[in-house]
Amino acid sequence: MRVAAILIDTGRELLFRKTIIVYFGVVTLLLLSFALALHTDVADGLIASISVAGLRASSPGMNGLTAEDFVRYVQLGTVFMLYPLAILMSVFATASLVPRMIEKGTIDLLLSKPITRPALFASRYLGGLLTVTVNLLYLTGGLGVILGLKTGVWNGGIVLSGLLMSLYFACLFAFVVLAGVLLRSTTVSVMITAALFFASLMVRLPHAYRDWPLLITGHLWRFLAVTVVETLYHALPRTYDFVQASTALIRHEGGLDWGAVGGSALSGAAALLLAVVYFSRQDY
Amino acid sequence: MSGDTSTDASGPAVICQRLAKTYRAALSRGGVTALRGLDLAVPSGQTFGLLGPNGAGKTTLVKLLLGIAFATSGTASVLGRPAGDVRSRARIGYLPESHRYPPHLTGEQVLHHFGRLSGLRRPGRTRRVDQLLRRVNLGEWRSVRVHKYSKRMLQRLGMAQAILNEPDLLILDEPTDGVDPIGRREIRDLLLEQKARGATIFLNSHLLSEVERICDRVAILKEGALLREGGVADLTRPRSAWQVETRAGRPDAVAGAVARVPGARAVDGRVEIEGDVPAVNSLIDALRGQEVEITAVLPRRDSLEDVFVKVLGEGETP
Repeated sequence: MRVAAILIDTGRELLFRKTIIVYFGVVTLLLLSFALALHTDVADGLIASISVAGLRASSPGMNGLTAEDFVRYVQLGTVFMLYPLAILMSVFATASLVPRMIEKGTIDLLLSKPITRPALFASRYLGGLLTVTVNLLYLTGGLGVILGLKTGVWNGGIVLSGLLMSLYFACLFAFVVLAGVLLRSTTVSVMITAALFFASLMVRLPHAYRDWPLLITGHLWRFLAVTVVETLYHALPRTYDFVQASTALIRHEGGLDWGAVGGSALSGAAALLLAVVYFSRQDY
Repeated sequence: MSGDTSTDASGPAVICQRLAKTYRAALSRGGVTALRGLDLAVPSGQTFGLLGPNGAGKTTLVKLLLGIAFATSGTASVLGRPAGDVRSRARIGYLPESHRYPPHLTGEQVLHHFGRLSGLRRPGRTRRVDQLLRRVNLGEWRSVRVHKYSKRMLQRLGMAQAILNEPDLLILDEPTDGVDPIGRREIRDLLLEQKARGATIFLNSHLLSEVERICDRVAILKEGALLREGGVADLTRPRSAWQVETRAGRPDAVAGAVARVPGARAVDGRVEIEGDVPAVNSLIDALRGQEVEITAVLPRRDSLEDVFVKVLGEGETP
C-alpha cells in the first residue's frame, strides 16, 4: 500500500506538471492524423494507392510496394524520428521527480512515515518509469492498431520496440535519478542526462571501428583515448544499439544484440543502486 | 494507533544517550556540531517542550529521532525501538517546521496520501479523513488544491496529517510559527485533545508562552548541549518574593513606605519585596501606615520566559 501511495502520487505529479500532458497531446495528434488523413487501398497484399490528406499516389508509381513493407517503413520512420523525441521529452518530464522529493519540507514528511528509504526511492523511480512506459505503449500500440486497421497488416514488432525503448528509458532514467539525488537540481540533472545521451551516441562510432586508435600517435595517448571511449561505451546506456535493436524487432530480423541491451541494463541497474545507497545514507 | 503495542506504556517514549551530531562538509576537515552528547528522556503520556535559540540543535534532535538524519555517535530510542525504525514510525505523527505538501493534491487527497503511507486502509481511512477535515474546519476546502491554501489552513491541514494515524508520539516542530492568535488557539486545542487521549507530545517551539501553557516538562538546549531540564511547575516555582499592588495616585506615600522597609522597591506602580512572610507583612504595615490602599498581594513566580532568558543569559553549563 505504501509503494502504491508513492506510485499514485508520482503519476499525479507528472500529470500536474503538464510535460506528460503535452507529450500525450502530441502523440494523440499524430495518431489522429494517421487515423484521419491516411487512406490505403490494398489489393493482393500490394499497396494499390495511398492517400495522405487528399494527396494521392497509386500504382504503378508504388513499384509493387507490399502492405507489409509499407507498415514496416512507417514504423521504422517512427523509430528514427519519434523515439529520440519521446525519450528526451520523457527525461524532461521526469527529471524533477527526485529533486522535488528531496526538497526540505517534503522529504522530512516522507521519511517520517513507515516506509524504508530504498522502497521510497525505488517507488518514485518506478512511478516515473511506469508513466513513461504507458505513454510509449500508447504511441506504439496506437500506431500499430491504426496501421493494422488501414492495411490489414498487424506488425507487433512496433509494440515490442516500444517495450525495448522503455527498457532503454529505464537505464537512462537511472542516471537521471542518480544525478538528481547527488546534485538536487532538475536543470543540472537534465543537462547531465542529455550529455550522457549524446556521449553514448558519440562513443558508438569509435567503438565500432576498431582501427581508429591507429590515428593517434603515442602509446599513452592511444591507451587513454581507447580507455575513455570503451569505459563510456560500456558504462552508459547504449542509445544507438537500442535503436538498432528496435528496428530489428520491426523488421522481424534475428540477431538482436542482447549483449548491448544487457550491458545497458546492467549500467542502469548500477546507477540506480548507487542512487538508492546514497539516498539511504544521506542526512536530510 | 492500533499497530505495535509492544512498548511498555509507562517507560519513556524517547531516550537519548550521549547523542551527538556533527554535520560534515564535503571538502572540509571540520564540520558543524549540532548536538553534543545529549542525554534526555521523555516520559510517556507527557507533553514535552524543547526550547532553545536558533541553531541550538532542536530540529536536528527531531530529525535524529525520526531517522531523517543519522547520529554521529550515541544512541536514541523512540517508543522502545531504535530511532528511525520503520515500526516505531508507524506510531509517530510528525509536523515539520516548513512542511510542503504536494501542490497537485487537494486537502482530502493529501490526507489520503499520507494515510496510505502510514498504512491506514479503507474504509477506516476515509472515515478518519472526513472526521479530521471537519475537525480542522477544512470540510468546505477538501476538494481545493493545497497550493491555494493560506498559511493558517496549511497548518491546520498539517496538524490533521500529523494526527491521522492516532499516534502514540506526536512530534511537532514549531507548529505555531507564523500563525495568528486564533490559529494558535486552534492548534493548542488540538494538542490538548491529543494529550487527553494519552499521546506523548514532543513540542519544539520558540513560543514560550505556548509551551508554558501546555507542556508538563521542558528542556533548554544551547549550542547542542542540554542546559536545563525539568517539570514546568518546578522551573517556574514561586520564589521567596512578593508583589504588592496598590491603588494608583499616591506615589509619594508609596515611596515613603518603601524607604522604611529593607529590600522593598517600587516598580511600575507596584511594590516588590524579596523575603519571607514577615517581610511582606512589614511592607503591608508600612503601606497601610501611609494610608495606601492595597489591591493585591501576590507571590512572585518566574515565567518560563524568565527561566529561559536567565538560563541562556547566565551561560550555564550542563
